[in-house]
Formats: sequence, structure tokens, C-alpha cells
Amino acid sequence: MSKPRASRFAKLTTAIGLACAFAAPGAALAQTTYGVALLSDYSGPYADIMPLLGRGREVALDWWNAEVGAKLGVKLNYKNFDTRYDAAQTASLWPGIKSEMKPIAVLGLGGPDVAALGQRLPDDGIPLFMSTAGYGYAWKPDSWIVNPRPTYAHEHAGAFKWLKAKRGGTQPLKVGIISSEASPAYVDIARGMERYAKDNPTEVQVVETIFTEVQPTDISTQVRRLVRGGVEVITIQTNTAAVVATKRALQALGSKVPVITSSHNGLPASGKAAGGLDQMEGDYEAYGMGIASDEDTPARRFYEKLKAEYKLVAPWNVLTLMGMSQGLYTARAIEHAIKQHGAQNLTGTKVRETLYAVPVTTEETFGTLPTLKFTKEAPFPVEGLKVNVATIKGGKYVTAATNVDTPALKKW
Amino acid sequence: MDPAGVFAVRYSQDRALLRTRKQWLALAVFLIALAVLPLAVGPRLIAVANIMLISAIVVVGLQICTGYAGQVNLGQAAFMGVGAYTAAVLAEKTGMSFLLAIPLSGVAAAGFGFVFGLSAARIKGFYLALTTIAAQFVFHFAVLNLPGSWLGGSNGATVPPATLFGYRIASDTSLYYLCLVSAVIMICGAFGIVRSRYGRAFVAVRDDDVAAGIMGINVVATKATAFLVGAFYAGVGGALWAYMLRFVAVDQFTLFNSVFFIAMIIVGGMGSVTGALIGVFVIRAIQELISTLGPELAVILPFLGGDIVFATMNVFLGGTIALFLIVEPKGLMHRWNIIKAGYRLWPFPY
Repeated sequence: MSKPRASRFAKLTTAIGLACAFAAPGAALAQTTYGVALLSDYSGPYADIMPLLGRGREVALDWWNAEVGAKLGVKLNYKNFDTRYDAAQTASLWPGIKSEMKPIAVLGLGGPDVAALGQRLPDDGIPLFMSTAGYGYAWKPDSWIVNPRPTYAHEHAGAFKWLKAKRGGTQPLKVGIISSEASPAYVDIARGMERYAKDNPTEVQVVETIFTEVQPTDISTQVRRLVRGGVEVITIQTNTAAVVATKRALQALGSKVPVITSSHNGLPASGKAAGGLDQMEGDYEAYGMGIASDEDTPARRFYEKLKAEYKLVAPWNVLTLMGMSQGLYTARAIEHAIKQHGAQNLTGTKVRETLYAVPVTTEETFGTLPTLKFTKEAPFPVEGLKVNVATIKGGKYVTAATNVDTPALKKW
Repeated sequence: MDPAGVFAVRYSQDRALLRTRKQWLALAVFLIALAVLPLAVGPRLIAVANIMLISAIVVVGLQICTGYAGQVNLGQAAFMGVGAYTAAVLAEKTGMSFLLAIPLSGVAAAGFGFVFGLSAARIKGFYLALTTIAAQFVFHFAVLNLPGSWLGGSNGATVPPATLFGYRIASDTSLYYLCLVSAVIMICGAFGIVRSRYGRAFVAVRDDDVAAGIMGINVVATKATAFLVGAFYAGVGGALWAYMLRFVAVDQFTLFNSVFFIAMIIVGGMGSVTGALIGVFVIRAIQELISTLGPELAVILPFLGGDIVFATMNVFLGGTIALFLIVEPKGLMHRWNIIKAGYRLWPFPY
């Protein structure tokens, strides 16, 4: 290459380099960032499960930032706040969260977050996205708190309907409820199922609702009453300790009545506590969310992707799945709002409006949740409710039924 | 101990809480600082101050009952819950003004506390502690099992915001002033109670109830009154709590909260109203500090993982309380009194 040519080439290269150097920050500046607050419990009663649920939701947001947000020019900056599952702590943290992050969405964990913020969110204009099923006490119209799942009572009502169809016949399914008065949430779940049975006497008959201690050791006497009453299934939505105590009582009585649990006290966790998954043979778990079984599902494939590409260090189980689903449906709601209102000047109010206007499809959440059509009637979708049912068959955790229709329940 | 040269020549001077101009000045500066605090700090600290002020009212009540009268009380959170529910019912169902609802909440809680105070006439120490734990469970099961239309049952109860001449007291700043005014009134009342004949009777019963009875003090009435007063304070604190969150549920008032209230008077110092305030400030400040530091550390030190950082913070909270109990079991107020006396006597040892 001759000298003048080399000089021109060098100038051109320098110019391109400079152009790139100046353009790069420009491109970075074009990206709009929004705050998303994560209310967590790393030092309270749920500290043992929080790392799994927390990583699930964080990595789902990482995935969205990298693969969806980058194309839209939006990044969701998230930050954890430790509420210790305490309403007082949430209440004192909240003004700081608002002023520091100016969040357009908050991811909540449980009842204390709802108690502390429920009355404030409409004034603040920030929606709170939960991961759990809903509660009767939070079933209020025009809520700023949303649950991707219907109430726990809805979920088990769907499972009861499925069990009745599986059994056949027209007689109502005889159900026993084991609960605890330690938490108003547990009482609420029991009341919801009682109300469903009262309104649908041809579907379900509640033989008895038994309130035990929150960590029961021996409930043989109470379970004997249920067995003598002819129960066909015992529903337990409190914790794994109650499931283990019920299983021990049923084994002592030589009864094969199945137990049905929820996501937070599901079969793998209860089986582990009971001494092995085989202890839960023939039992069920039912909830309106994907099931973390070993089968090849879109949710499982998405988990494997997060694990391989986004450093998700959490096992494949219901808690990780719950966190993933929470992060995903929140991010998708924000994504819809960006598409409707533009990436600039997005607010929590706009995110909420869009959530009611545009459903979050099951494909968008990789099957971790059913299609969510929120209405202002309730904090959870009241139409097209589906639940999935899992069981232990041959010592293996398998899906028993998917997309089971959930009946409509009246408020209790 | 008074500073050198300050001595009472009249009974009113002897009873005075503030004995020097410097003390009056310090109090005035402190109150002015509290009044202008919302102008100087951000919303986060105002919210923290609200929680501290509510806790201060509840813990001062516990100090009167436990610190002054010596009646072990592990049911203060339940008494607070009674106040909160009363405020919720009065505000929601009758539309009563908060100006009436707050003191009436205190009265309702006092009535509930008085029942347990009567049991204190027959038992004491460990057995009394167990009885007051029963208050927690009675409150819990009563709320859950009474007809839902009364207290909301498992649904909890929503509370409309307090309003004054049409102004809605719902922002953190307006709630701060409501809590501040309430706290000042209640704390002034506490100082008045403990230096009155009732306060002296509390101390006499605490130190030796047999001797107190021989001296003519009605021991049964004194013990029951201690619970009544302590529960009244808890009820007022509970009502403020209800107006702050605007939603009350039974699981907001647990035995765990009662234990923390006890921890506050132990850290601050038993038998001192100021000690109770110091205890509230220290414990709440540590709690808020770790809640603030945790997320920052998790971001700065991502290799540790959020779970380890947050768990360490919680251990730090427990460790700090344990350290206080080991190093200064009589509370921070005791240490402050020693330092103050040492300063006033210097250079003499005593």
C-alpha cells in the first residue's frame, strides 16, 4: 500500500473508530431504565425458601432484559428489599423504595406486603405483583395487588371437580379439611372451601374442618373422625408438617384416603419431610401454575435455558418455578405497556391499565402460568381459570392432569 | 443526681422533672428538631420515625407495667391489637373522628388488659408471664372466631384514613405529626404517672408487694391498674398503627412482637421512661439499618449472594441485642446515668 493510500486508510479507520466510540454511549443513553422493587424475606420465616424463589424471579428479569428489553430499549433495574415478612418493616421501607427507585412495579411475597401496602398503592400508583394464589380477604374490586393464580379455595375446588369426575357417579365428593387457626390466611382458605361446598352440595360435601396446631405432631383422633365420616380426599393447604402428621395418622389407621396439597406444601417437599416420595404414593397436589415434574414441558425447557445461559443456580422445583412465573408475568405486563404507551414515561398506572387490557398468554410465560386475563372485578383472573394436578405414581412425581377447569366461587 | 449547686428548696422543685435551664433548653431544642424533622429528612426516615413513635407509645406503656410495677407482660402486642381493631371498627362502622377513636381504642385495650391485671393479683413471675401469653391467644382466637361482621375475622379490617377538617391524614408526613403529637402527650402522661402516688405505689409493689401491702398500698388494685395503664398505652399505639396501615389483621400483633417490646425495655433500661424511648430507638434503628444495608451489600458484594448477606444482617441484629444484655444488663439508661454522675462529680470518684 502506497503512503497516501495508507494515510487515507488510517484516517478512515480513525473516523470509523471515533464514530463508533461516540455512537456507543449514544446507544446506551437511548436505553430507558425503570425500577422494579422486589420485596423479599431473607431473614424472616421464609428465609429458607427465599433464595430459590428470589433467584427464579431475578433471573427471569435478567432474561427479559437481555432478550426482550434490549430490543425495546428498556432495562428493568431490580433491587431486593428485605421485609422480614413483617408488615411494619414493609411499611417503613416503602417510602424509601418509592423515592429511591421510583418503581413501576413491585414484586411481593406474602400477606404482610399486602397488609402494609394494600391501602397505599392506589395513591402511589404502583401495582404489586404477587406469586401466590389469592385470598378471600383480598378479593376486592379495583385492586392494585394482582395474583396470577385464583384463591387457594378456587384451586382445590377445581381439583375436587376433577377428582369427582375421575371417581364417577353423582354423589358429592366427601372432603375433609385440615387447617390451622395460627394464621388468618389458613382460616380464609378453609372458609372458602366450606363456602364452595355450601353453594354446591351436589359437587362437594365437607365432612369436617379440623383446626389443628400449626405444626401438629399427632392428629390420629381427628383423622379417625374424618375416615369414619367416609372422606374421599383430605385437603391440606397449611404446611408440610400438617401433611406429614395426616399421612402418619392415615398409615396408623390403615387408610388409603388420598391427601391433596398446594404448591407451598407440595408433594416433593412433603414427601421429603415424610421420609421419601414413596410415602406420598397416590396423593395429589393442585394449583394454577406449571408443575415442576421431570416431564419435558415448555416451563422446564425455559428453566434449562435460564440455567445454561443466565446462571440460574436453583434446582427445578415449585419454588423456583413460582419465582420464574412471577418475574415473567410482571415483565410481560411491562412489555405490553411499553408496546401500548411507548418506552418513554412509563408509569405504574400505565402498567396496571395495560394489564387489564391485554392478557398475558401462557406462551409468554413459557407455560409457567395459564393465560391471565385480569379484570377489575378481582385481583386474580376470574375467567378461564385452570389448575394442574400432580401425583406420585410408582414413586415418581408426575403430572396427573393439566388445564383442569376451575369452577366459579362466590365470595366468602 | 443534680448538678452541683442545684438543690430543691420547695416541694414543687423537688418533684420537677426538668431542674435547670440547660435541661429546658435541651428539651426545647429536641422538640423543635422533631417538629422540623420532615423538612430535613427523606420519606424513608419519616416512615421509620412513624414506626418508632408508635412503638415508643406501646413500649412506654409496657415500661409502666413491667419496668415500674414489676408485672411481667408478654401480651402487649395483643393489647395493641385490641386498640387497632377498636379504631378500625369505630372509624369504619361509625365514622367516628380519629380524635375520639384513638383514646377510645386505648380505653378498650385498657379494659382487656385490666382482666389480665386481675389475675396478677394471685400470681406473679413465671406464672404471670404465662397468663399474659394467654392474652395473645385469646385475642387471636377471638378475632378469628367472632362473627366476621364484627371484626372481619380472617379477612382483617380496613380503616379509612384519619381526616381533620377535610384534610386527609394519609401521607407519611401528616401521619408523622399525628404520631408525634400523640407520643408527646402519652410520654408526658407517663412521666406524670410514674412520679405520682400511683407511680410510687407501682415501684413499692414491684420491690416487695408484701411490704407494700403492710404499708397500706392496695396491692391488687395497684397491679390491676398497672396492666390497665400499660394496655391503654398499647391501645393508643394500636389505633395509630391502624390509621397508618389502614388495614389490620390478627397476624400483625403476635407474641413475637410482644417479645421484641420486652427486648426494647431491657436494652433501654427497666424502670425508666427515657430508657424505654432509648430502647425503641436503638432496636428500631438497628432493624432499619440492617434492612437498608442488606440490599446495598448484596449489590456491592454479589459473590456472597443475597441470602448470605441478609442472613448475616439478621444475625447481626440478634448479636447486638445479646451483646447489650451481656455488657449492660441494666440497660443503656443505667450506663448513661453512670456517665452523667461521673461527669458531675469529676474529678472526685464519688
